[in-house]
Amino acid sequence: MLMKQIALYGKGGIGKSTTSANLSAALSGMGLDILQIGCDPKRDSTRMLMHGTFIPTVMDLVRERGDAALSLDDIVFRGYNGVRCVEAGGPEPGVGCAGRGIIATFQLLEKFGALKGDVIVYDVLGDVVCGGFAMPMREGYAQEIYLVTSGELMSLYAANNICKAIKRLASRAKSKCRLAGVICNAKGQPKEEELVAEFARRVNSDLVEFIPRDRIVQLAELNRKTVIEHEPASPQADRYRSLAARIMENTRLTIPTPLEIDVLETLAYAYI
Amino acid sequence: MCLKPSPTHTSRSGGCTLTGALSVTTHIRNAASVIHGPRGCAHHNFSLLHATQLDNEKVSVPDIVSSALGEGDIVFGGEEALARTLEVVCDRDVAAVFVLSTCVVATIGDDIAEVCSRDWGVQVIPVPTAGFLGGTFQDGVNNALLSLADSAEPCEKTMSVNIIGEKNLEYEVGENYAEVARLLSLLGLPVGIRFVHDLSSDKIRLLGAARLNILRDPALVPVGNHLLQRFGTPYIESFPAGFSDTLAFISAVAASCGRNPERALEIEQSLQAEILSDFADIHDAKGVFTSPVMDSGSVRAAQEAADALNIRVGPDEQARPLPVQPVVGTSGIRRMLHRWRRAIHA
Repeated sequence: MLMKQIALYGKGGIGKSTTSANLSAALSGMGLDILQIGCDPKRDSTRMLMHGTFIPTVMDLVRERGDAALSLDDIVFRGYNGVRCVEAGGPEPGVGCAGRGIIATFQLLEKFGALKGDVIVYDVLGDVVCGGFAMPMREGYAQEIYLVTSGELMSLYAANNICKAIKRLASRAKSKCRLAGVICNAKGQPKEEELVAEFARRVNSDLVEFIPRDRIVQLAELNRKTVIEHEPASPQADRYRSLAARIMENTRLTIPTPLEIDVLETLAYAYI
Repeated sequence: MCLKPSPTHTSRSGGCTLTGALSVTTHIRNAASVIHGPRGCAHHNFSLLHATQLDNEKVSVPDIVSSALGEGDIVFGGEEALARTLEVVCDRDVAAVFVLSTCVVATIGDDIAEVCSRDWGVQVIPVPTAGFLGGTFQDGVNNALLSLADSAEPCEKTMSVNIIGEKNLEYEVGENYAEVARLLSLLGLPVGIRFVHDLSSDKIRLLGAARLNILRDPALVPVGNHLLQRFGTPYIESFPAGFSDTLAFISAVAASCGRNPERALEIEQSLQAEILSDFADIHDAKGVFTSPVMDSGSVRAAQEAADALNIRVGPDEQARPLPVQPVVGTSGIRRMLHRWRRAIHA
């Protein structure tokens, strides 16, 4: 099969890493070879797949040893069910340039030939604050962008901004980057699924999965595991498996139509 | 962010702040200039400054050191690399170290002032440059002069005149200075310090001693104002360009320093008359002004000289190309007339 490259974007703290890790775990359960790449200096994207371990980041390894001394085995770690995990890493908060760190990491991953497998899942920092964080959408890396959002206005606002970035990038001649769908990681507010589904429709996409708020997610994390591993028989694990299946069969890739802020507010207001 | 238009519209408006600042800081003797950024920012500036010095018949190697940032420093922050560089540079026998920032360190937000403020054993002076983010070539010049000015304390006034912000990269920097010094000498006024041209670092403290500051051009007015506030020194905002401007300059300097200008004006007027008679052979010629850069002061001075020689300027079949260069004083006009003569007799 053709390698599938997907990226999850969304507001900080919305649950991208949790969703990514459970998605990777679910995809691996379908017998697929998965690579998850955390593109956030916080470096905690793959932690639940690695049973609580913070793996060494590409940027740290380059800094300590220089890129000439590194090999593929130094940067890729096998986690739950054989999921391969990479953390880009980056500077301490408040110094340097994390965006440039992402770009440097991608160059190294290319050099090492690390970008292979059935599915690559890119888990990217909250907002696309600069060109560096748009890197996974560029140069033919992730062609399918999934927005992770709740029904909260600020979360929809961030998702809408990412639509703007996708639209801009999609207009470039060689760009293959498209919006693939919206994942609702619910906060538990009323009519949340309807609101996010309507938002998805308005930006020319679909709600691919509604993931309800469930304490089991926190319990799994306290046990340093994904929900898939910790409670494989739970309805929540079914949701992640359903998401994985939807993503694998999804062929509707669109150029998004981002909303004006007042339209977005009116939309959110209509679902109070 | 720099969104200010440049005060003058010269070809230098689009340059990089680094080159402007280095044209000042490398003219302080026994001082090093650290460029905090990638090596390339030091390389092309080094080449430019070195080549220009050679053209001005000065064989000297500008003391420029790069913090030589690599990608890792950009990602993780470059402050450590700057500190490592300063350790090495400050260990040498230098009286002062200037730290200039490039675009990339301004983009990632390195705290250069903090690194410079540590105890290095010598004076480490940060110059706000920030590459192209910090503005233009002229902003670099001005910021370097302002940073230096703050290292001098107010002191007792003497009857002397400082020269502020000479264009160290222009070919006629020596001639232009000599012309202004000559005009001052007509009034019996000595030059205090050339701030900054080939200046010993221990002379910077004399910055406040002058009775008057003469700026190289009006783009330095912010520097002139700063020196006025800090040291109470009034300023004249430009070197003079052309005959009448030179006479006005003499009068203005005399007024500021309490001198009688009459004798000086007489001497200068007779020199100007002498020059015009020397060029009687190009009377009644026809020409058009040509130059890659036309600053209004020089064009005005050129037109004045053309009128005095009855040269008709404008499109005409017989018009010869008359080069207009930035001119300083009466002598600048004489050099320009020599070029015109060659063009007219060519």
